[in-house]
Formats: sequence, C-alpha cells, structure tokens
Amino acid sequence: MPKLDRFPLTRIVSTPALLDGIQTSTTAIVMRTAPDELFWLGSPAAPVINDPHAIIEHDTSFVGTWLSTQAATAWVSANCEWQLPTTRPVFAQGEVAGLPVKLWIEPRRMLVLVQQPFAADLGERLQ
Amino acid sequence: MTESSQPLKLIIDGQPVPFVKGDSVLVAMLRNQHHPTGGGCLCLGGDCPHCLATIDGVAYVRTCQVPARPGCVVACTHHAHAVPALPQTHHVEPTTNARHQHADVVVIGQGKSGLAAAELARTAGQTVVTLDAAQGQDVIGIYPGAQVVARTTQGMLIVHVRQEIIVATGAAELHPVALGNSLAGLMTARAAQQLQAAGLSLGRIVVINDANRLVRFEGESNVTAVVVRDDQGLEQHVGCDTAVIDLGTTPRNMLHRMAAGLPGVRVSVVGDAATNSDVPNCPAHGLVCHCSQVGVADLQSVWDRGFHELELVKRASLAGTGTCQGGVCLPYVRSFLANKGGTLQPAFTARPLARPITMGEVAAGGHHHVTLRTPLDGVHRAAHAHMERAGGWWRPWNYGDWQAEYWAVREAVSIMDVSTLGKMLISGPDALTLLDRLYPTKVSTIKTGMSRYVLLLDEKGYVLDDGLISKISDTRYTLTFTSGGATTAELWVRDWAESWGLNVRILNQTMSLGAINVTGPLAKELLARAGLEKPPEFLSHVEAHVAGIPCRIFRLSFTGELSYELHHAAVNAPVLWRTLLDLGKSLNIRPHGLEALLKLRLEKGHIIVGQDTDFDSTPRRIHHEWAVKLDKPDFVGKHAVLRTNKVSLDKILCGLSMEGPPPIEGANLTVDGNYAGYVTSATWSPILGKTVMLAWLKLSNDLAPDRVMIDGRPAQRTETPFYDKEGARAKA
Amino acid sequence: MNEFIEQRVSLTWQQPKKSYDVVIIGGGGHGLAAAYYLATRHGITNVAVLERSYIGGGNSGRNTTIIRSNYGIPEAVRFYQRSVDLYATLEAETDRWVMHKEKGMIGLAHSEANMRVEKARAAVNTAFGAKTDWIGPDEVKKMCPELDMTGGGHYPVVGAAYHHSGATARHDRVVWAFAEGAMKRGAHVHQRIEVTGLQIAGNRVTGVQTTQGDIAAGAVLCAVGGHVTSVAAMAGLRLPIRTHQLQAFVTNHYERTFAPILSSGPLLFYVSQTARGEMLMGAEIDRQPSYSYRSDYKFLQGCAFRAVTLLPFLRNLQVLRQWTGVCDMSPDYSPIMGQTGVEGFYITTGWGTWGFKAIPASGEQLAAAISTGKTPDLIAPFSLDRFALDRTMADRGSAGTH
Repeated sequence: MPKLDRFPLTRIVSTPALLDGIQTSTTAIVMRTAPDELFWLGSPAAPVINDPHAIIEHDTSFVGTWLSTQAATAWVSANCEWQLPTTRPVFAQGEVAGLPVKLWIEPRRMLVLVQQPFAADLGERLQ
Repeated sequence: MTESSQPLKLIIDGQPVPFVKGDSVLVAMLRNQHHPTGGGCLCLGGDCPHCLATIDGVAYVRTCQVPARPGCVVACTHHAHAVPALPQTHHVEPTTNARHQHADVVVIGQGKSGLAAAELARTAGQTVVTLDAAQGQDVIGIYPGAQVVARTTQGMLIVHVRQEIIVATGAAELHPVALGNSLAGLMTARAAQQLQAAGLSLGRIVVINDANRLVRFEGESNVTAVVVRDDQGLEQHVGCDTAVIDLGTTPRNMLHRMAAGLPGVRVSVVGDAATNSDVPNCPAHGLVCHCSQVGVADLQSVWDRGFHELELVKRASLAGTGTCQGGVCLPYVRSFLANKGGTLQPAFTARPLARPITMGEVAAGGHHHVTLRTPLDGVHRAAHAHMERAGGWWRPWNYGDWQAEYWAVREAVSIMDVSTLGKMLISGPDALTLLDRLYPTKVSTIKTGMSRYVLLLDEKGYVLDDGLISKISDTRYTLTFTSGGATTAELWVRDWAESWGLNVRILNQTMSLGAINVTGPLAKELLARAGLEKPPEFLSHVEAHVAGIPCRIFRLSFTGELSYELHHAAVNAPVLWRTLLDLGKSLNIRPHGLEALLKLRLEKGHIIVGQDTDFDSTPRRIHHEWAVKLDKPDFVGKHAVLRTNKVSLDKILCGLSMEGPPPIEGANLTVDGNYAGYVTSATWSPILGKTVMLAWLKLSNDLAPDRVMIDGRPAQRTETPFYDKEGARAKA
Repeated sequence: MNEFIEQRVSLTWQQPKKSYDVVIIGGGGHGLAAAYYLATRHGITNVAVLERSYIGGGNSGRNTTIIRSNYGIPEAVRFYQRSVDLYATLEAETDRWVMHKEKGMIGLAHSEANMRVEKARAAVNTAFGAKTDWIGPDEVKKMCPELDMTGGGHYPVVGAAYHHSGATARHDRVVWAFAEGAMKRGAHVHQRIEVTGLQIAGNRVTGVQTTQGDIAAGAVLCAVGGHVTSVAAMAGLRLPIRTHQLQAFVTNHYERTFAPILSSGPLLFYVSQTARGEMLMGAEIDRQPSYSYRSDYKFLQGCAFRAVTLLPFLRNLQVLRQWTGVCDMSPDYSPIMGQTGVEGFYITTGWGTWGFKAIPASGEQLAAAISTGKTPDLIAPFSLDRFALDRTMADRGSAGTH
C-alpha cells in the first residue's frame, strides 16, 4: 500500500468574484474546487481575502500521495470514467475508484487527495 | 525438453489429447474426433451455440473462440443439450481488470469495411479505437454515455465515445433449418474452409447452396446423407461425411440495433453488417432455435394459439432466449411470422450482452460502497473495539463491556467519538435569513454564544433531521446534523440558499473536524485537568484549548449527564482522545460505544431520527410541537404543518415502560388483542431496573391508551424522560 | 423438446367495439388481472384491456419475479399476503403452469443495525400472517451453503430474516394466464391501441380516446406503468409519482440447485434461480428519475461485484442478458389504488419495485372496487387521498430493492 501523507491546506469560501481576483502563486498549489471555494496548499500562505464573511478553514483532513505520470495514468485508466483535462498543471475532481478525489496534475506527477474518512479505501484502491 | 519433442496437450473430459499450435479448442477437439455438443451446424465464427463447452470451470464457452492452451481443461457439459451444473466453488482465475479509454470514434470489426472506416476517421483527425473479435476483443454491449464495452485479452475495456460508433461486424452465415439439422458433420462454408486449412479431413463433402432443394439430413449421430430435391422435384440421397452449408449470410447487426438511438453519439453501420436483412425462406421442419431446442412445430403451435407478435412468440416459444440471443434463429423466426401474418415484423430488441462473459469479468473494476472512517478509527481498532457500520460510518459498538461503559457515563466520566456528526458552518449577511427560513424554530432569538436543539422539516412537514444551531456572531452560525445526514443536509441547505438567492458562504465541516463527547458527572473535572478553566454553561459554546488543542466546546447532552462536545481539527483527534483517557485514569474513565449510548439516550427519551421517526413523522406526532413556531412568517414545511394539524391525530411516538427484559425493537403493541403500534427503541435500563421504550402508538377515538400488551406482557405509557426528568444532571 | 415452451395458453383477439362497461388502460399483469377478476368474480365481461404495445411488454415482463409479503407495515403485509395466497392457487384456478414455486426468502443481516431492522420486520410480518423467522448464521449457511459467510471479509453474515412464503413465478406466464382467463370469458384485449385522452362529462369519465378512435366506457381503470402521470393528467389528476429505472440481469441456464431467494440490504443485491435455471439478479433503483429502458454497464459491474462477494461461485457463471424496467415510486413507498375523485376513473399505480408480487391482489381488489363502487377494506388504506389527509403508508419495509 502506498504511504499516504497528510496535506494540510487552507480552504477559502467566499464569493466567486472575490475568489476570481486571488493572485495564484507559482509555488503553492491553488485548486478552485467550486465557484465559491478555493483550496490553497503550500507556501507562501494564502493571501488575505477582502471579505469579512469569508470562511477561512485550515483543513487538516486531506490525505493523499504523489503518483508518477506512469502510475497515475495506469490508475486513472483503470478507475476513472471521465476524461482528465489535458493542460498542465491542472486541477480536476470527481469520482475515481469509487472515491471522491481531488487531483492536481503536473507535467511529471499527479497528486491524489481524499478526505480522511476515505483514506483507508484510497490506500487499498491505489494498489 | 524442447517444444517439438513434447506434444501440446489439453484435457478433454479427463483425457489428455494433443493439439497443434494455432488450434482453437474447437479445432483441437474436432482433430481428436470430439464434437463439443454432439451436433449442429458449426460456424467457427462465434455466432452459433454448437461448440459450447466448459473450459477451465466456465460453462457456455464458445470453443471456436478460445485458443487451445496446454493443460486447459475442457468438459463437454453441453453435449446433447445438457444443462451444466452450477459450479460449487469458483475456479481460481487470472485477475481480470478493467480500463477506461476515451475516443472520438469506435469502430467495431476490422474486416475490410471496418479497416476502411477507421482509416477514414483517422485521416479526418479523429482519435479512433478499433475493436475486433478476431483479435480477442469481444464487444459485449453498447451503453448510454456512450460507452462501448469489450472483453479483451488484457481485461475489460470501456471505451467512452465522443462522436461516432461504427458497426462493421460483417455478416454471419445462415444456418440450415431442416430435419436432421442437429446432426454432427454439418458446417458452414467458412467453417469448412478453416478446418481444411487446419489440415482436418472432412471426408466426402456435399455442399448445400439452395435452401429450396434441401429436404433433410440423415444419419445416426453424424450426417451420412443429405436428401435434396432435384429439378424434377424428386428426392435424391447424397451420401456424405460432411454437409457444407452455403446458404448466404445474414447481417450481424445486433450491436447496431443495440446502439441505435443512443443520445449524444452518431451510430452507423457499414459493410456486410449494413446489408438489408432479407429473411430466408420460411422453414417447414427442423430445429429453428438450437439454444432453447425450439422447432418449427413449436413456432406453429404458439402461432396457432394466438401468439403473433414477435416479442410474444419469442417469450412463448423461447426462440432467441439462449446463448446466441437469436443470432442463429432470428431470421427464421421472422420469416416464419411473415409467412403466417403477411408482414415482416422488425427484429426484437437487442439488449446487452452481445456475447456472454463471466460475472467475474463483469465485476472487474467494481468497488464496494465506502464505509467512512473517523479520524479515531485506528485508535478504536487498536483498542479492540467491536466496530459496526452505522449511518454510513464505521463506529465503535462497544469496547468489550457495554455495562462498564454505561456506568462510566452515569457515575464517572466517559468519552465517545462523535466525529460522524454532520457539521456545517454558515457565514454571510443572509445567514440568519437562511436559517430562519430553513428551520421551524425562531433562529433570531438564539443569542450569540448559545445553541439550540432544532428539528429540520421537509416541505411535507415531516421530520427530515435534527441537530443543533449555534450562534457565533450575527452573521455566523454552526449547524449539526445526524450522522449519515450530512450529505443530504448539505444539498438541502445549498439548494435552498441558492433558490432564495441569499448571500451566504457554506462549508461542510463534517470530515474536516473531529468531535469527542466528554460526558458524565466528572466531565467538568476531567476538562479542568485538561486545562479548561471556564467550561461553557448549558446550551452555550466557547472556543478554548483543551489539552493544548484548539476546540469549539458545545454544552448539550444526549446521554443525560453533564456533557461537553469538543470539535477540533481532524488531525488532532487521536492526541486529544489519548490525553483525555490519560488524564481521566484516576476518574475511572473509559470510552463508550454506540451500544451504551443507545441505552443512555433512551433513558432520557431522546429520539434518533430514522430509528424512532418514519417518513411521515410530523412534529405533533413525535411530541415536538415546541420545536415549531407557527407564528413565524414562513419556514420550510410550515404550510404542511398547518394543514396536517387540522387532521385528527392518529398516532404518537410515546414512552413505554415494563417489567422484565426488553422486547425486540419492532415488537407489536396490542390493545384488547388489536394491533396498536410497534416499538421503535427498547432497552433494559440498568439504573431504573426496568425496561424503557419508545413506540408508535395508535390513537383510538383521539385517545392514546395508557396500557398496552407487548408479546403477552403489559406495558405502561410513561412520560419521557424516564430518567432524571428535570434534567438536573445535564444542567449541573 | 424444451419443457419450458408454452404449450397450453390460447389467446383470442377480437375487433374493438365502440363501447364497453369497463375499459382498462394497460395490458400488463395488473390490467389483465383486473379484467380476469371482473369476469370470474363479478361476471363483468363487457371489458376491454387496451395495450399500446404487446401484453406484458412493460414492467410485467421486466421484473425479477419475486413474490413475497414481508413488508414493513400491517396494511401492506395483509395486502401482499393476499397476493401470495392468490399466487399459490393460481395454477389450480387457471389450469395453467406459471412456474410458481415457494422457495423461502433469506434477508441477510450484516451488522447490528441490519439485525435490528430484519428482526423488526419479522415481528410485524409474523403478526399479520406472513411467517418470518429470525435465523442465526448456522441456519443461514445450512439453507444456502454457497454463501461466503464472511461476505468477502467485508460483509459478514450475522443472521437473517427467513420469510417462509417467499416464492417466484414466471412473469410472462402470469400475464398470459390472466389474459387467457379474461378472454375466455368474453373480455377483449387489444394490442397496439394507445390511449391518447379521456372523455369526461362533468366529473365523470365516459370513455377514452385512442389511436383507433373513441371508445365509450362505464368505468376506466388506469393500470399503466411508467407513464401513469401522463394518463392521470388526462383526467386532470396530479399524481405524487416519480419514475425511476430498475435494472436486472440473468446468467445462462444451469441445473437448478440454488434453492432460496437471497437478498442483502446493505449490499443492495438479491438473487434467485429461475425455473429454467438462470441466476436472476438485481439491485436498487436508480436515484435519478428516468423513463429510459436502456441498461448501463456500471450497474452490471457494481451488481456483479457485490454478488460475487457473497456468492463466489457466481464468478464463473456467464452473464446472458441485462435489461431495465421503470418504477413508479410514491412518496411513502406504498402503492396507490382505488378511486380518484373523478367518478368512474380508478387507478392502480405506485408499484415501485413491488408490482409483480401484487398482481393478483391488485386485480382482485380493483375488480371488486369497480363492480361494487365501494373500496374494499384491504386496499382502503392505499387510496390516493391519503397524501392530502396526512395518512401516508410510510413503509420502510418496502423501500427495499425488489
């Protein structure tokens, strides 16, 4: 079973317009999970958003692993019904192997994330 | 030893027999004078049912499609149309896997027209997947999506098609329908060619190329003569060892019929598969459907008794319901019906599977529905907890001794993993408006720092869920829902927020927060040891550190004892759990599971939505009118509640108690021998020394009986809570 | 000679008349059974059944042929037990072989929560005449030795509710037995006639409009599946019905040695072996409402995956055919039967995943309702007006899969 690591991240829930205005970073991974939600992973820290009602959650429940492109391709082809986007880097999410996954795909590797309640099953299904 | 010195052998009905490299199992069998089924016109094209056998434990395998392998075990379980036994155990098989592929165009069949179609599509810049039975790629079905699913030598392949499905499956040869057509020694022209090419001797050959002249085949088990009609109409016996059937072809268009009309994709058919399906002459004698052993006389019989529609004829005569799904017989059945009724009826519905494959193969790539695990799952398992599935989660049922767990709550202190609770954060200028419209309580009267137990109703006024609303600020609230209710609740809240166009931010925190309930008379003492100096008052909440971990602490009680619910980042759950257990050692702490909790809450008369409520539970029926404020301007379910309140009350959820052990949950209530409802929850109460229950009780003449019988024993209606009626312990 | 080829049923087709005492819309099991019971129990034979396709071509021919009465509420248990009893004597009554066989049904439990539900069900079933016992794992294994009691290591079998009168019958044969019985007594059955409208005078139905002209009727029974909301709308009625897909599949034929009907709620899977020897399997309804009759692969994959978890021997069986029916689901998972508020217009719908097992009782009771103008006690709780009156028949026992 591949070792799964914890990926602490910041979830920002705000208005679509304000999230659209966030400057992305070249070092942090920024995933737009919904029109009103964004995940910020890595450094620098997430920028401050000018929304007093925004929900900023430091979420410690995501776990996952980096797969090489080769391993990722094999896993996706065996387990994913939908076609992944082809640009890089790119964020994608949906059901893979019966699990709700978030994918961050770079030219040479892919990050697979699930929330902790799914972690054990992800471990089994990555084999 | 070299390959050439050791003859290749497979096992047929227990006997090793040699074969030649390149043989299919069928060719190997024929080479050794074995006919898999004992007769019928062989096609060697995967269309007919005459070469079926059991290979390596799998029955109904077309031996003509399986390459012979050394040691492969063949059993002639279909000989003389026998029905194979169900396997007792499953054969160990190579792991099958499934893969997905995406393409603009799928071409099924790689004969001349299929090759051309694929080439054309490629030239047009389209991505093309080709599937060819001759290369071990059997298309088993075409599905909405559109998906083309095939069994390949590398496992199952699911191709997701964007633009076009091209069916180029060619044509199958027509089989003969005449007396004696189930004898051995019959084969189609293509089959004969293949067998000759494989070096088999076919003996004396008669070629049948005119169905009008064919009268019958003669022989005991193998054909010895063909009887044909000559130009003068006289019957001629022609002795032979092999009758080669060359009666023309019928398009293999099953996949085209299956795919036709699929939304979102073009479906076309090319080559021989596209030829007009002219039907052969109406048969007079002989077997029409070999899979189900249906003769012309059987068709006549059902026709004579009023079965005229093709679909009815199929179901009554069973023609077309076997392994080949009408591949051989359909042209003849249509011909028969056209001859009787004067019109040619369209072919019957083509359903998957186009080719049988095993359930093991179909199951490839499948997964069980996930049962969720809390951040403390590993901790519970390490403590040898008995884990159970409940509400979609793995939860500790007990840690080996529910009674000790129960008493720890009632007399000392205990902790429980309640991370499964649905948890949601709502923020925004319209947060209050949203919640006030969603919930039947007056959310506006909840003060900052306070919480309230609430019901959630659907539009029909029935209880959907229950939970807690806690106010953090004028524009920020947290909500909780039942375990297992979180996903539905999130959809519910988001749907309403969107349809009302409200300015709110919503975050489902169910999985990102862990939650631990600290409960028991010594709960406060334990938290003091963990550094919590100012715990919240009853029904309030604070943010504070417990054992150094930031928590939001809610003060409510499901067990009836002094309780604090600690919500914290999921990652901190194990440390917090272990620290609390360490600090509580001298307080005789022990964690409790669901089994103890179900008893504790029942002593308090607390309902569990879904167990004690049903689809039609109105607040009035469950005695929760106090949770519904009908003088509010509006809330989801209000109109339904007003309407149902006008109807007489027919049943209530009420408390019951009785001496002796508890009945099963679900036991019937009777009054004067008549059914009067049923028990939803029942337990022996250790602290009260009697059985306490919740039950649905029918009213008669608007009155609820005070006494009922359960399994022949009397039970008494009892006000809830059964234990600590004033709630002094929880509010301590 | 194949013993399963239909040998005896004789269907007689007539030209449609301009007027009938009763017109029944829908030539499936329910419509034909109503015609049969009108003729045999009430002497009403001036009846036409109108079928837009061929008889039994809808859900009557797409279900998984299970007959049982282990429902969750007394009213339902009583009603379905009536159907179980009528099925048990149907062959003797009609002198036709419908391949009825009592097999017993095992409802597996895999957890404490399941056990609680199955035990509760056994209690209400037994109290209302549908004998159901709670049995332990050893007895389960004895009744079904093929079971992997560990559930593939994921779903251990901790016991089961055993419903003694669980049975199966051949669905087409049931349809034909009722059709023939009705025809023999003078009722008409017309295929390829589609009802396009209802004729209503005042608040009373007076006939139907069809693709082959108008037909007058003293009473009309709507017994259609799938498009019931459209037909009801012709009478100005709005039904609380949502239509969902339900899929199933069979394997090839094997010797008949798998005895029971086996079902697992948590695994959303059930199986029985047909009289012809096919292993017949199904799962839960599709959550997305749809009228489509197209099957999908994901269902097959998932259902097969769960099936082999419990019954490993199934791995080696060949899947022959899969198909899809549609289920008309009511909000309380119970059927809707009887009068509608439009005089002379009766309805039988909401048959969800339990329509086949209800065919005889539904036919019998609606025939009684139509002939007497009074709703029989057995189906009174299932009237359409229960939704407005807050007297729904909430039945968790029905919310199963078959």
